[in-house]
This record gives sequence, structure tokens and C-alpha cells, in this order.
Amino acid sequence: MEITMKHVSLTYPGGRKALQDLSLTLRSPGLTGLLGPNGAGKSTLIKLLSAALAPDSGTILADGRPLPEQGDYLKSRLGCLPQEFGLFDELTVFQFLDYMAALKGLPCRKTAVQKAIAAVRLGERARSRISTLSGGQRQRVGIAQALLGEPPFLIFDEPTVGLDPEERLQFRNQFARLAKDRLVLLSTHIIEDVQAVCSRLIILREGKILFSGTPDGLIQTVFESGIPFPKAEKEPGAERIFPAAPTLEEAYLRLISGKEGRQPCRL
Amino acid sequence: MITIFRYECRRLTGNRFFFGMAAILLFFGQQTFERVTLTGVSHTAPFSPWSLGDFACRMLPLLWAAALSFLTFFTSPQARRTAVLTACCPVSPRRYAAVRLAAALAGTGILTILCLAEAAALTAWYFHLFIWDIVWKNLLFPALITLVPPLIFALGSGWRLGNLCPRLLFGWMALPFFLRLLPLADNFHLWNGQFFAQYPLTAGVLDPAFFIPAPMVLLQLLLAAGGIILAGLFPLPALPMRTRKRTAPKSREKRSSL
Amino acid sequence: MSALIFLEWKRLLSRPSARLILFLTIFSPAAGLFLFRPSAADTMSSVFLANPALAGGAAGGILFGLLSISELDRGKRSGTDVLVWTAVSPYTMAAVRLWALLSAALAAFVLTAALWIPAGRILAGSVFDVLDAFWAYFIFMGLALPLAILAAVSAFQFTGRADLSLALFGAFAILSLTLWSGNWQLCWLNPCVWALSDDFSNFRIFRSAAYMRLTWAAGLSGLWILSRPAVRRRKKRAAALFLLLTFFLAWTFQPFTDHSDPDQSVSSFDQIPPADGISCVRRSVRLFPDLRAGTVRGTAVYHFLNTSGKPQSAAFGINPGYRICSASAGGTAVPFSFDGRQEFNEALLEVTLPTGSETELVLEYGGFPREDRSLSAMQGSAEISEEYLYLPNADLAPRLLNVRPAGETIPAVTEITLPSHMTVIPFGPSHAEITAENEDGTLTWRYESEGTGGICYAGDYVRQDIEADGITVEFYYGRKHQDVMEEAGAAEAIQAVIRYCTEHYGPPFCLSGRTLKLIQSRTSGGGYATDGASLLDEADFTAANLKNSAKGAAPGEVMIHELVHQWWGLTQMFDSSDPADPWSAEGLTVYTTYRIVKELYGEEYADTHYTDQWIRETNDYYLNFYVRRPEYFSRLPKKKQLDITNRFSRVRQYCEMPLKIRKAEQLAGGEENMDRILRGLFSREIDPFHPFLTWETFLNACGLTEEDLNLDHDFSI
Repeated sequence: MEITMKHVSLTYPGGRKALQDLSLTLRSPGLTGLLGPNGAGKSTLIKLLSAALAPDSGTILADGRPLPEQGDYLKSRLGCLPQEFGLFDELTVFQFLDYMAALKGLPCRKTAVQKAIAAVRLGERARSRISTLSGGQRQRVGIAQALLGEPPFLIFDEPTVGLDPEERLQFRNQFARLAKDRLVLLSTHIIEDVQAVCSRLIILREGKILFSGTPDGLIQTVFESGIPFPKAEKEPGAERIFPAAPTLEEAYLRLISGKEGRQPCRL
Repeated sequence: MITIFRYECRRLTGNRFFFGMAAILLFFGQQTFERVTLTGVSHTAPFSPWSLGDFACRMLPLLWAAALSFLTFFTSPQARRTAVLTACCPVSPRRYAAVRLAAALAGTGILTILCLAEAAALTAWYFHLFIWDIVWKNLLFPALITLVPPLIFALGSGWRLGNLCPRLLFGWMALPFFLRLLPLADNFHLWNGQFFAQYPLTAGVLDPAFFIPAPMVLLQLLLAAGGIILAGLFPLPALPMRTRKRTAPKSREKRSSL
Repeated sequence: MSALIFLEWKRLLSRPSARLILFLTIFSPAAGLFLFRPSAADTMSSVFLANPALAGGAAGGILFGLLSISELDRGKRSGTDVLVWTAVSPYTMAAVRLWALLSAALAAFVLTAALWIPAGRILAGSVFDVLDAFWAYFIFMGLALPLAILAAVSAFQFTGRADLSLALFGAFAILSLTLWSGNWQLCWLNPCVWALSDDFSNFRIFRSAAYMRLTWAAGLSGLWILSRPAVRRRKKRAAALFLLLTFFLAWTFQPFTDHSDPDQSVSSFDQIPPADGISCVRRSVRLFPDLRAGTVRGTAVYHFLNTSGKPQSAAFGINPGYRICSASAGGTAVPFSFDGRQEFNEALLEVTLPTGSETELVLEYGGFPREDRSLSAMQGSAEISEEYLYLPNADLAPRLLNVRPAGETIPAVTEITLPSHMTVIPFGPSHAEITAENEDGTLTWRYESEGTGGICYAGDYVRQDIEADGITVEFYYGRKHQDVMEEAGAAEAIQAVIRYCTEHYGPPFCLSGRTLKLIQSRTSGGGYATDGASLLDEADFTAANLKNSAKGAAPGEVMIHELVHQWWGLTQMFDSSDPADPWSAEGLTVYTTYRIVKELYGEEYADTHYTDQWIRETNDYYLNFYVRRPEYFSRLPKKKQLDITNRFSRVRQYCEMPLKIRKAEQLAGGEENMDRILRGLFSREIDPFHPFLTWETFLNACGLTEEDLNLDHDFSI
């Protein structure tokens, strides 16, 4: 699976520029982390990649096929979990996943549903109504519907929200496993998630790519280029504790707080 | 899509709203039958097509509200949050919308059948008549012509309005009540419930055979057609979408039947 | 909690939709002037106070119900509930929201009343009463809003869904406005207020409507408590059960209407065999109405002669709302019991008389009089207040049913104590006189009458004596109406009617001393007549009616109709043993009224309002499915059969029969010939053993047969 974006720009009707001349290529296999502050354009990028939006300019190709015209081609190979989503509370977990499987046109729905339920460890709650699930369990249902049919392209936007640390670790590892033979795009604010498993990072700010490369490459780039650490407001008695070795989080913070106009770094 | 249809029907009918609405309709129907229909409408028998048609007319406002309420299952903010998931699926939005509308129509149909069955049962009980005779001879056609076109229009127009703004559905529910207050032209008397009460008085014969003037039938057909057209125009979007400037996709992947 | 309520109230009113609903509610009474006019009477208070208040209640109730559901759903939809509940318990928040909505409703009511009560003053004119206006708006509109809020909130809290609670509330409101509108206890949103009086008080109808509203308030409050977010609070559940029980008891044991047999063809009280060997020499009644409470307390004394030598049971008819405090004969208590039967607004009381040859039975009784259930949607006539009093027959005193008079009739003396501004008017030939001025400022009136019953009116009346063709008419009308009556020349109109009947038929020889009382009553939807007195509805004398140029200078037709009854119905009597018999006093009275109206208002008016209406209603009757197919009629439930039968008898008496008489007029050769025939019937020699004017006598006088007057859908006249 290969997704190519070339000089893509999108401006919302209110005039806000969501993406500006953005170009990138995603290839499977691989787990790409998507980072950026709020309003950087991550969700917009995800919507473009899932053919939910059309750009104002530029092209988006999925395996060489243009989006959104060939949106059905992409959707038949896509599993997507948006940041905010809802579920049919009236249905059980199994019924809801069966419903989604039917919408996706999967040939062996029952098998696909059972696999997805097993992947998110919801076997015991498969026959429970969604309205009776906890927040974390609802999140797992969302992940499960994305995994239905083992699509070659997966997009997860904040997938570990509401999960406990153990579950986060499990899913992090699962994403890494999935990325071995498919393209996974993981958008998150939790640096640990991307640090451990992502082979590539894309950092957005104000609709532009600030960085695209490996996590180690980010650290190296930021600290070697001498980007200063952002000034923090000092509160009386507060002390900043600097880690002994530079971390990905620190590098990320330094990068996004850098001066405007800095050229994006690519490795 | 049969699976989708089945699940949507389950969603619409397997909840408190459906059972509550059914109870309300049955109670209202019983009260209407006892207090109005049983006395006979316009000198006709209580079990005549005129009286039973009048009964159907009186039930229409509540059935209209029920039909629009089913649509709120698809247009509510919660439904729209779920739509971000379904929008990522390679299903034709129009087919998907059609299946959902069909489920809403099925739910409305069940409620309608309940009301009519109640009227038939009460008529059979009071007058010791054979219930199927009542249904086939006196109830079916008046009910069909009175209820089906407006309910189709309700679903189609409600679909359109609900996609624009979900709250409009609630205002739209009041339409039949307002129509009953308005002095409409003769051909529109099916819309304000006056046809069954007035026509037998002007027919010139006692217990006239059931007859609906051709213009009225045409209007009902147009109403139904209007509903179908309105339903087909705007597929349900997943989220508030920006306008797509490019042309529609030209190729489709083959899908296995659902 | 009050701070929370105020906060929530402010937040509520900051919403544009809430303000819109407030605005619409304030102006909703306007609908009562044009669109929604449930009050049928023509009195100014009905038109300009009751209808706007009722419309405001219905519309405002629906609007606030929708607002309530929207408010509760908003918290759920926006997800703010989960945040709010971290600070305030859902249980408390439910109460806070309710109180905020009720406060908003109160604000809406206050603003509405501030606008519409002065408007009512302008529209209603001189008969406007500010207290009546306040009560009308408070009870008819103000109390509707909290009921609607409670119903809507309860529906939402039970179902948890906006759509279902909308449907529930909507159905509940629609039922009240449509199918339940004729049942005074069920129409929670739009109370059955068919009329408000201009000249007299409306104490009874206000009380009845308020009782119904408070009954529903108890029930809906109980429902609301039960529907509140589930918290195990036994006290609250007990409160809910208490309220629901209160609702149930208040509903079942309501004090306003009786349980008279709905079958009006049944009159078993008249068939009670006379007590053997017992006769009544005389009777007396002393009444002490409590005008503030609307109750009556009285002492009735009956003097019996018992020649049977054994105890006898005396049967009385008494208002079903009264109870017997004591029954004694010769100072010794005697057993009494209520049979349980109720007919025509009377309950059957049986008292066992001792064996003594002469017995003085003293019955102490009293209570809140109930009205006939068949008129439950038209309550208000049993008015007892400081402005008006009406006590008919069994409301006045227990009416003897099965004891013959010792002489020709039973002489009766009635004493009644009332405030000094009220004039007592016995409905009959006798006159009341003041016999005592009491220390508390009240006056005791006394009058003599005859018979087992009697009707007493009292109020702030003005009396005007009118001479018409040798008859002295004592015209009593409310003092509030004096200017209107004088300006419209009501006296002249009455003279015109009496003159017509006297010229065409002769003087009504039932009048003793050739005096006729005309009494303006509190609006009652009609009137009636007795020997020497006729009752006229105040609605006939509203300024609107009297100034209606379409009707000429004459007052309403009901007044004419009731006056004519002095000729047909009293001077000439009709056998009323079969209430369903189409031949009754009404046929000739309606026909004569038509003739008078034709002379006063013109033929076109008379045809439009009489003949055409008779034809319409008679045609409806003949075409009715159950009339044509009586085998299906018998399959209906008894209650439905009774409803239809009662409706038929009214049509036959008031429409079919006058139509037949008009046909007889045509076949007899015209109006002059008919006048001659009727004059002959009126002045014929009466058989004392059968004094009634029968259908056969009429046919014979016209030289016609029954078949000649069959209408058979041929209404060409």
C-alpha cells in the first residue's frame, strides 16, 4: 500500500488554512506516528487520507489512484478509527461489528468479527449491549471495527484514549505487530506510544510538516541544530528538571516551539 | 444490505421509544374509535370505509410524528458521531440511506398496522363481524390511500430536513395538526381529515360506495412521489462536509452481496 | 437550593428559545378571541375572559411542556449533565430544574395577566369584574402551566428519551383537547368552562375547575416524584404514593357531580308506591346557606298523619351532595338510610316514620350540592355565593316522593337567611317578605308555597314591573345589567312577546292574579317556566346580543321561548311520562317562537335560524345509521346507546316536531288557519282527568292524520 500526497492544501470555509502545500509518501509496511499541537492539521490530514474530504489543491494517490474520486478503492482497504466517534448503543458488540462488517462488504463476516473481537480482547463482552460498556471498552470496540477484514491501511487517531496503561501497552504492541505487513498511521499526543513502536514520525504545525523522519533522527536534528528549549513561565518554587539524556518528548517540544518560518527537517 | 436493513429495523423497533409509541397509538386509537368512529361518520356505518377512513385520518398526525421520530435515530448528534465510522466504509451513501429509510418505513408500517388492526378488532368485536371482511372490504383501501402517501412523504421530507438540521424534524411533526386547522380546497381534504366526513354527505345517496376522486388520488400519488424524490436527493453525510469540487467517481469495486 | 433555582432560572431565560416561548405564551390568549373558543355562551365574560384564558392555558401549557422536554434533553445531549452531577446530585438537580421551569411559568403567567386583565376590562365593558378576571386567568391558564411542566418532565424522566416523552406529552395534550374535552375530570389542559356569568358570581365553576386542576396536580406531582433519578429514598417514595393516593381519592370522591343514572328514560323515583295511610299536612324549611363555602344547612319539618297504625317509610329525594345530620320525630331519633340510587340529580332517602297518628319529622341536612352528571361539562348552575343563590327542589329541601297531601296540596313555608343586599325570589306565584333583621346584618326572608318542591333564587336583583296586555310582568334582573337593559329596551321586547301570544292564543290563565315573574338567571344554557314564573338566561341579555342589529331590537330567542312556555307547557300541559316522546311542550313552543321571531326579525332570519336548522338536524336524525339499522344499535354498549338516545330525543322534540307542525300549517291552509287552530286548542275545555294536550288532539284539530305529517325526507316547506 502506498499513499502519496503532493502539494496538498486545504482551507476551511471560514478562511482557516488547515494544510499548506503538504507533500508526503506513506508506504507499507510501517508504523508512522503523526504528531502536532492542537489545530496543527492532524485530523484534517486523516480525513483527507480516508477520503472524507477533498483538498483544495494538490493530489492524493492511493496505490496510484487519485482520491477522492477513487475513494471506494481506498475505503475497501482502510480501517479507520477517528478521534471522536459514536457507536450504536442499542446493539451488542457482536451485532455492531457485524453491522460494520456488512457495510464493508466483507465476505466472511462472522469470522472477521470474531477475529476482531479476539484482537481487542472483548470476547467476554461480545454479547453485551454497547450501552453497558465502559469508556475503555467502547474504545476497544472502535479499534475492533477498524481491524475488521484486516485492511492493509490502518489509521488510528488517539486510539488509546480511555485505556489503562496495561491496555495501552498491549495495543501499542499490537499496532507494531500490525505494522509489520501493512501501513499504519497513528496520530497521538502520547509520545511514549510513538517512541516505542513508530518507525517514522511526521510532525505537523499550522498545516505544515515540521519534521518527517525517524524518532532518533528527530532527537539528533533538534539537539544538534541548537533549537532552544521553550521558555517556561517560572512559578515561585518551581524547578525544571532536565533529564540526563535528551528524550523524544523534549525534542518534540523544542521543535514545535521553535520560531516560525523554520524549514522542516526531513531525514 | 439485507443485514444492514435487519439491524436498522432492530435498532428502531427494539427500544423503549417504539414500544412506548405503540402504546400511545393504541390508546389514542381506542379512544378515537370509541368516541368518534363508533357513532358512525356522516350517516355511514361505523364499519364502513368512510368511518374507518376517518379513523385512519385521525391517527395520521401521530403516525406522522412517529415516522419523523424514527428519522431522529439517523440524524441525531449521536447518530452523526457514529456516521464518522460508517462514512469510512466502501458503501454507496445512497444505498445506505435507502436501506435506513426502508427500515424507518418498516417501523412506521408496523405501528400503522397495529392501529388498523386495533380498529378492525374493535369493529369485529362490537358488531360481531368477521375481521378479515372488515379489513379487506372496508379498511384496507381507505387506510392505504390515506396513510401511505403522507407517511412516505414524511420520511422523504424528514430525511431532507433532518440532514439540514435535526431540530427541524420536531417542527415538521406539527404539520398535520396545522393542516387540520386550515380550510383547504376540496381536493386537499384528505390532508385535513375532512374528506371522509364530508364526501358521503354530498354523494346524494345513502351509504355511498367508497370512492376517492381522481384528483385526490393523483395528489396522494404526487405526495408519495415527492417523498421518494426528496429522500433520494441527499445522501446522509458522515460529518459536516466541505463541498467536493471534483466529479463523481467513475469506477466501482465489485462488492459481494450483503 | 434557592440559589441554585435562581441560577438555573437565569440560565433558562437566557436561552432564546425559552424567551420565545415566554413571548408566545404571553400573547397566546389572543387565540381565544378568534381561534379557540371552547366557551359556548355569549356572555361577555365567556367571550372576553374565559376563552382567552382557556386558550392561554392550552397554548401555554403545550409550549411549556415542549420547553421542559427540550431543557431536560439539552443537558443530556450536550453532556453537561455528567459535569453538573459531579457538583449537585441528579436528584437535587431534577428538583432544581423543575422549580426553575415553574418559576418561568409563573413569570409568564404574571406578565400575561398584567396584559390581558386590563384588556378584558376594555373588551367586556361594564360587566367586567376584576376578581372574576383574576380567577379566570389564574385557574384556567395559570394552573395549566405547572401541570404541563409536571407531565412533560415526568414523561422525560420516565422514558429518558426526548422523542418518546414528546410523543407521550403530545398524546396527553391532544386527548385533553379533543376526545376528552367533554369529560370535566379528564380535560386537564382545557377545563370544561362552557360559560362565565356577567351579572352574577362564578364561584362554582371556578371551584370545580380548580378542584380538577389540583387533582391533576397531585397525580402529576406523584408521578414526577416517582420518575426522579433513582435514589433509594423511602420518604420520597412514600410522598409519591401519598400524592397518587390523593389523586385517586380526589378523582373518585369528587364533590361536584353526582352519580345519577345516565339512562334518562328511567324514573324509578316516580314509581315508588305511595306510603299506605300516610299523608302530609304541611311542611316548612329553614335554610342557612354558607355563602362563602357554597354549602347549605337546613332544617325541614314535615307534619304527617299516619292512619295505618304501623311504621311507614317515607321516601325523599335529596341532592346527592347533602347528608342528613339528624332525623327525629317527636324529639326521638328515627332511622334513615340512603338507597344508593340517584336519578335526575336526586338521591333516594328513606326515613322510617313511627306509628303515631301525628308525626312531626325534623330533618337536619346540609352539604355542598352536586350537579347532575349529565351536565358535568356545563357546571356552574348550582351557584351559592354572596352574589347569587339558586336552590331548586331537592337542593332546597328533601322532596317528598311517596306521601300524598292531606288536602289538595301540601302547603309549605320557607325561611332563608341571607345578606341584606340579596333579594329572595321564589320561582312561582308567591313573594318573599323580610321577617327579621338579624344582628349580623343578615335578613331572614319568608315565603309560602305549595307542593313537594320549589325553587328559590336570590341575588342582587332589580325589579321592573311591566304591564303588557293586562298582565303584570315582574321583571327581575341583575343590578350589574341595569344600564344595558334600560339602554336596549328589554322591557319593550318582553311586552312585544306577551302581546303576540295573548293576541294569537289568549291570556295564559295559569297566572294567579295575572302576574308573571320573569327572572334573569345566571347563565344556564336555557331556561324553564312554571306557574307564574319564567326563567331567562342572562346570555340573552348581553350587550352584544341586545345590540345585535341582525336581531333587531328584540332580545334573544331563549327569552321568547321561555315566555311562550307560559302558554304551551303550563297553561296547556303535555304528558311528560315518556321523556323520549317527540310530542312535548317543546314542539309548539319552538314553533311559536319561530313565528314570533319571524314577525320581529323577518322571514329570512327566521328561516335561516329555525326552519333550516330543523331540516338539517331532522335530516341528520333520519339518516343516522343507527336509526336506519336499529339491529346494530342494540350491539352498542349501553352507555353509547344512552348517549345516542338522549341526542335523538332532543332532535325529535326540538326539530322534527316543529317541522311537522309547520307542515301541518301548510296543509291546514297557512298561518292564519294554524293560528285559529292553535287558539282553539289553547282555549279548549280541559278534561280534568286527562288535562294533557295530546298529539291526537292536535291532529284532529288540524283535520290531519299522522301519515299526512310524515316527513320521509321531504322537507320542502
